[in-house]
Amino acid sequence: MNVDDLDALMGDPRDPGNPMGFDAVLAADERQEMLADGERLLDGYGFNAEFVPTRLGGRLDRIDRLATALRAVWRRDPCLGLGYGFSSFISGMNIWTAGDDEQQRGAAKLLLDNGKIAAAFHELDHGNDFAHAGFTARAVADGWLLSGRKEVVTNLRRADALVLFARTSSAAGSRAHSQFLIDELPGDAVRHLSRLRSSGMRGVQLGRAEFTDCPVPGGALLGELGQGMEIALRSYQVTRAVFPAVSVGPLDTALRLAAEFAHDRRLYGGVIADIPYVQAILARSFADLLAVDALSTVAVRSLHLLPAEMGVYAPATKYLTSRMVLDAFEDLRSVLGAQAFLRDGRYGMFQKLHRDIAPATFAHVSRSACQVMLLPQLPRLARRSWFADPAADPAVFAVDGPLPALDLDRLTAGMARTDSVIATLAARSADASPLGRFVARFQGALRLLRAECTDLRPSDITIDGSPAAFALADRYSVVLAGAAALAVWGDRPDTALLGVLDRLDGRLGGDSVLTPAEREHVERHLFGEVARRLRENRLLDLSARRVPG
Amino acid sequence: MPSGLIDAERALDDVLDESARIAELDAAEAFPAELCARLDSFGLPAYYVPAKWGGRLDDHEALLRLWRTVARRDLSTIVAHGKTYLGTACVWLAGSDEQAAGVAKAVLGGAPVAWALSEPDHGADLLNGTVTAAASTDGWQLNGAKWPINNATRADLMTVLARTGTTGSARGQGLFLVDKSTLASGTWRQLPKVATHGIRGVDISGIAFDGARAELLGEKGSGVETVLRALQLTRTMCGGLSLGAGEHALRLTGRFVSTRIIQRKPLIDRAQPRSVLARCAGLLAAAEATALVGARSIHALTGEMSVISAITKSVVPALTDLVIAELTELLGARSYLTEVHEHGAFQKLARDHQIVSVFDGSTPVNRGALAQQFGRLARAYGAEKVNGAGLAEAIDVGVTPSEVDVDELVLTSRGGCSIVQSLPGIVSELADRPEIGSLARSLRAVTARVVALMAEVRPAARPAMAAYELAAAYELCYAGAACLQLWAAHEARRRDEPLWQDAIWLRVALHAVLTRLAIVLRTPGPEAVAGDRLAELVAAAAMAGGSVTPFGPGASSER
Repeated sequence: MNVDDLDALMGDPRDPGNPMGFDAVLAADERQEMLADGERLLDGYGFNAEFVPTRLGGRLDRIDRLATALRAVWRRDPCLGLGYGFSSFISGMNIWTAGDDEQQRGAAKLLLDNGKIAAAFHELDHGNDFAHAGFTARAVADGWLLSGRKEVVTNLRRADALVLFARTSSAAGSRAHSQFLIDELPGDAVRHLSRLRSSGMRGVQLGRAEFTDCPVPGGALLGELGQGMEIALRSYQVTRAVFPAVSVGPLDTALRLAAEFAHDRRLYGGVIADIPYVQAILARSFADLLAVDALSTVAVRSLHLLPAEMGVYAPATKYLTSRMVLDAFEDLRSVLGAQAFLRDGRYGMFQKLHRDIAPATFAHVSRSACQVMLLPQLPRLARRSWFADPAADPAVFAVDGPLPALDLDRLTAGMARTDSVIATLAARSADASPLGRFVARFQGALRLLRAECTDLRPSDITIDGSPAAFALADRYSVVLAGAAALAVWGDRPDTALLGVLDRLDGRLGGDSVLTPAEREHVERHLFGEVARRLRENRLLDLSARRVPG
Repeated sequence: MPSGLIDAERALDDVLDESARIAELDAAEAFPAELCARLDSFGLPAYYVPAKWGGRLDDHEALLRLWRTVARRDLSTIVAHGKTYLGTACVWLAGSDEQAAGVAKAVLGGAPVAWALSEPDHGADLLNGTVTAAASTDGWQLNGAKWPINNATRADLMTVLARTGTTGSARGQGLFLVDKSTLASGTWRQLPKVATHGIRGVDISGIAFDGARAELLGEKGSGVETVLRALQLTRTMCGGLSLGAGEHALRLTGRFVSTRIIQRKPLIDRAQPRSVLARCAGLLAAAEATALVGARSIHALTGEMSVISAITKSVVPALTDLVIAELTELLGARSYLTEVHEHGAFQKLARDHQIVSVFDGSTPVNRGALAQQFGRLARAYGAEKVNGAGLAEAIDVGVTPSEVDVDELVLTSRGGCSIVQSLPGIVSELADRPEIGSLARSLRAVTARVVALMAEVRPAARPAMAAYELAAAYELCYAGAACLQLWAAHEARRRDEPLWQDAIWLRVALHAVLTRLAIVLRTPGPEAVAGDRLAELVAAAAMAGGSVTPFGPGASSER
């Protein structure tokens, strides 16, 4: 079972008879339902095994494999991707991180039997502010009594179990909450409220429920009392690193749709793919996609190879890639014109993908929350790590290369003390070639960042930080992406890399590294590559895999 | 500001206080008939008809403001209702007295009118349409399909562009008036409503003609020219839709950040969310300045409208799209849920607004059109050529403008663009205003650079990407210049109003424009400007129903 099998199972998206084709996907969205045939197909494939560690009978030994499988589903239908199993993945990571043997075996069996585990963390009044979540668990003689409201919880009602986050102490601070794994809820103490509707991901059942002294047994506690936040912070490093890699899928399809349209649509006596504007937008979106793939690949591989550094890589990757993906959708919209606004027809998938991907900037963790996580880590890294630490093991950047087993115990909720991906940038030499000029640009940006981060005041590394401080977290994420792209491409001369770095450089601001003529050359190359991959039915990501469509 | 106009804006605002119903209609994809009926009762159709034909279309600023007022409640309603203005624009330009009088009577009586330009496979390509018009003993007969067309089903009256000569020729198209209620059966059929991403209730459908009778509007080969001249009016007025959407987004978010508590403090008390809100308020102020000056220029700088309309249609929706994207992040889940937080109004306006940069000439189409005039614009900038009287009238916001001389609507602007060309002069005049001097000088410097680059662009049927980017930059220069001109013209009278104190709106707007310019041109951005005060004012205004933009009327009843 690998991703090619999965792609083959999902079949040709343009086949009108395919129960997992675009027509069926769009029809399910219109009904605000999950794609039932898609769920059955994933059940048949045993997709949940991707979420379950091999030691517990599943197929999860490499996070890059899981990310690739999820990406394939999200490429077809993000709603299916989220609603089928992303919450089981999130819950699962908390369970594998903190559960006891019995909890782990139970959860594994439940998932391998095609069950679902909801992740009940969110409360609308608190959003990303978990520390102030109001849902409480009160200890009683034989267990716990749960009270409060959980909202915007995927699959809350239809899940077979849930991981739930609750306050277990009235004290302030990071040890006031605990997690619970609950496989049975007494009906009379839990009132399910009507499902929340959303403008995208319309088939996903976003539940909400009111708990009133709902009894759960003592054994439901997941991990230690007061450890809820720490478990979440550690396991979220996995899920937040995986999401960016998955978001490449919808962008891949969107770019493919725009490129198809550009080659099909006749205007002014030619196809619109002849228009330089259209070529440039397709080229730039492709470069954006490659940049997102390179950074998220490094983040995912770092889970195995640089787990102690995930405290920076997970939030930085989620922060930058979510904006890049949405911006690329916005650019592609201008190529599709009115077709990007129609819910049916050959390009009707575009608007659905656009609606489905829209929460990327705030779902699971918001971009501003990512910045708040990054800020306190930057001064130390600036002073002690950048330009000082040894460069990361080249294995980090070897796409699809071997990986050691994932060791969840090595993920920490604390701050990263080294930053060896950035160190690869510091270690590079820069010549006068376009690539060398980019190396110099990103190194210069890193030096400036080091100076400014070193000077950050304590008040600036909190949620109350100044906009200038928040801008440093932004620039850090772009420099990290530049370092990741340079390292992933290595010494291979590739015009596409120049396009990737040019797009990232645009986000850094400042004078352009490329001359207009160089940019035109690079973008012509990228556009040609998009057209070639379209003809050959290849993915637009780093893998360039052949797919059924 | 004439109090009559503000009274009209408030009165119109009052009849639309229906956010729950608006959400319900959108969810059901139902046409907002009851809201359109209220606009009819208010008398909005009269604003679409020139005074000469018994209407009140003598002030495009007034119409822009009224459209904004509707748009900030519901874009669907104004896209549906306002289409009549678009559909009739060609009639006033090219129709006979008799035709105009007939259409005027129908519009004043509340009849909707459609404008049938798009075709299934041609979209924006006006020259290569396949709908044909053939002369017969019984007048003209139309054949072929128009789709997707706003109001195609609800409207009996429609203006239709159809080919009378060879394909691809500028003189090969005529413009026709069709009255479906008089057509023989079998000569036309309705094409079904299209499912759209936003404005879901609006009648976006189509019509297929099969020998349908039509009247020629104007001369036989003049269809494309008439449409291009009409688009100079309608593209400019589309700014009102974006202003409404942007204002709605800013108000919804202003109320959210004022009340949302994160880590025991409201968001508005933290520096980062404040800076986002301020930046968005600055971008919206720049959009407002652009749209107001554009609408008034229809009267005051009519001969420049080929340039001004392209700029306005590109930059006002583009700035508003940026505002919506930034505010989406601040709102988080509340930007996405369709029932939570003020009836899910934000996700609706975000979806709805995406059409504005597409219809009536998309952003790339307008930028491509602007690029065709680069040479002339660059020369006129170098000469600091300014139509002084026209400029003065264009920035005299709130004063009833002179009558539009439609014969001055021409396809290229001989005078270039007075607003941009006035920049060196106004910057010199404001040299002694320390609070804005350096921002104004930065704008002048970057504009000079943009114009110099424009002068180097060789004319081409298919401009290079760099030309589109220069067009985008020139639009921003225009927006900045419009801000400066409006501020200089009005600050003496308005300096005590909160948004005008210390030139706060102007400084944040210019900074936002310069920041965008740096991103488009790939140059270093400007020094930071403290916008905290603007953010606090906007958040407070959103809570109290005050004005969130320098030329906004505020709301009489909130929400």
